[in-house]
Amino acid sequence: MTVAFPAESPPHGPPGTRLVIGIGNEHRGDDAVGPLVARRLRPILMDVARVVEADVGGAELIDLWTGTSFVWVVDAARAGGPPGTMYRFEVGKEELPASLGSTSTHGVSLADAVALGGVLGRLPTHLVIYGVEPGHLEMGTELSHPVKAAVEPLVRRIEGEVRSVQGAVWAEASVGGPDA
Amino acid sequence: MTDRTISVDYLARVEGEGALRVRIHERAVDSVELAIFEPPRYFEAFLRGRSYFEAPDITARICGICPVAYQMSACHAMERGLGLSIAPEVRALRRLLYCGEWIESHALHVYLLHLPDFFGVPDAIHLAKDHREVVERGLALKRAGNELMTVLGGREIHPINVRVGGFYRVPARDELEALRPSLANALYLAEETVRLTASLSFPDLENDYEFVSLRHPDEYPMNEGEVVSSRGLRIPMARYDEEFREIQVPYSHALHSVRRDGGSYLVGPMARYANNRDRLGPRADAIVREVGLEPVVRNPFRSVIVRAVEMVYACEEALRIIDGYRPPDRPYVEADGALATDGCVAITEAPRGMLYHRYRLDATGTIRDARIVAPTSQNQKRIEEDVRAVVERSIDLESEPLTVACEQAIRNHDPCISCATHFLSLDLVRD
Repeated sequence: MTVAFPAESPPHGPPGTRLVIGIGNEHRGDDAVGPLVARRLRPILMDVARVVEADVGGAELIDLWTGTSFVWVVDAARAGGPPGTMYRFEVGKEELPASLGSTSTHGVSLADAVALGGVLGRLPTHLVIYGVEPGHLEMGTELSHPVKAAVEPLVRRIEGEVRSVQGAVWAEASVGGPDA
Repeated sequence: MTDRTISVDYLARVEGEGALRVRIHERAVDSVELAIFEPPRYFEAFLRGRSYFEAPDITARICGICPVAYQMSACHAMERGLGLSIAPEVRALRRLLYCGEWIESHALHVYLLHLPDFFGVPDAIHLAKDHREVVERGLALKRAGNELMTVLGGREIHPINVRVGGFYRVPARDELEALRPSLANALYLAEETVRLTASLSFPDLENDYEFVSLRHPDEYPMNEGEVVSSRGLRIPMARYDEEFREIQVPYSHALHSVRRDGGSYLVGPMARYANNRDRLGPRADAIVREVGLEPVVRNPFRSVIVRAVEMVYACEEALRIIDGYRPPDRPYVEADGALATDGCVAITEAPRGMLYHRYRLDATGTIRDARIVAPTSQNQKRIEEDVRAVVERSIDLESEPLTVACEQAIRNHDPCISCATHFLSLDLVRD
């Protein structure tokens, strides 16, 4: 019997590559949204980007994205909206809410990783974070309806953004704002 | 004016969400409550009805920090219950995988969560501003652990290559050989970590702990051994329930473990070291002598040095295993006898201490009952006592520095609160 390892490359990709990271625990209700979006995107973006799904803490994120120019991170994020609400933050362009990534159970949150990566000079040139407001995070439960409904729009949106990157240049015009 | 409460509503730099309340009356500590308010996660309920074969992967999702520990305890428990014997080469590979987890978990705690306390900065981000090289060293050590886990586990976080009976796929010799340079460098970095942490200044505090850990005839304990305590307990793993029990406390979502007589005990690096100082490898032994670390560390703040020593050990042990590695004839063995059993019991040494698993299987190999006791629930009562000791000796401090001291007393033991919240009966939740 053999096992199929997930299609992941080593942590350090060549500069200029595009990387999508879906964070979360797939057995923990809406926390699964990150891995599920990543799993949908992997075959779609096979020709253009590395796609990783992982239940990781902030310190691993820094290693994952170091050396990569364009990075998208998808995570469940509590920011007070109704379940399924999508949030988009572009690091360097807007302030990240401190609560970002706090649905994970790690001592170093996503927001910490961004701050630490910034101090260490280890941030991607473009880092976009997509948060989805979770409804529930209980162990052994599946995605709630509103979060499930958010998956496909998010997949299409990230695909569009990833494909809009031309060489080392981001075609800004094609990137929608938070309300798009 | 004589009553005051020290409250920390959100404990920073620990794994998971918890809160602390300390009530002080006159100049005495009334109560210390470490509240864990993460919702309970009902892992045991989730496991019931699943195949024994799924337990390693399901339980690995309990904790993003120590998935290997959960896999190891689950595999060993099932193998013991099903009477499977594991090839020595597979056993060595499991130990190697555990080394990876110890390195990465200890590196995270020492450098990103604990060291800021000793440098007087609020977090690792501030530490990186002033001491970039220190944080980079921590990340490099952590990476070395992750690499080991990636090669053996198939994926660096939540390894998927581990199964009951062995591994799905075992590495070729050259795959492990390729890890040597990174591990040799990590060994050096870990020794530097011992030197750095041993040079810090520590509050003058010693506690009278009952240290509980595994002890093995000739190894520093990871996957095997008897349960021993610094007060003379020595039992096989299967008798754990006779000596330790769990109690509910009204203010927390997690159970507290206590000794049979109700007393607290401590698991984790300080306990392992106290009970197994003589089982360290030559490099770890040498660095302990070089910095003059006492054979039993009772000052909880000095646990940071012990974690560093364990990183040295994990690096040298990993190199030793790679040196002697030859791939097993078969990567795994399968159960071929009766599946019904209530003898699935194992304890392994997670980075934070003993992790207990017990399962009961029916004739189809379906899990009918599961019990998991995580290191942090075992340490909770003792952590509260540590906080009390810190408050008592600093009772005249203003509330703000006293609060900081309390948080540090908790961080000394690297609690993983999310691990501790998954085994509570429903009635307490609505409290």
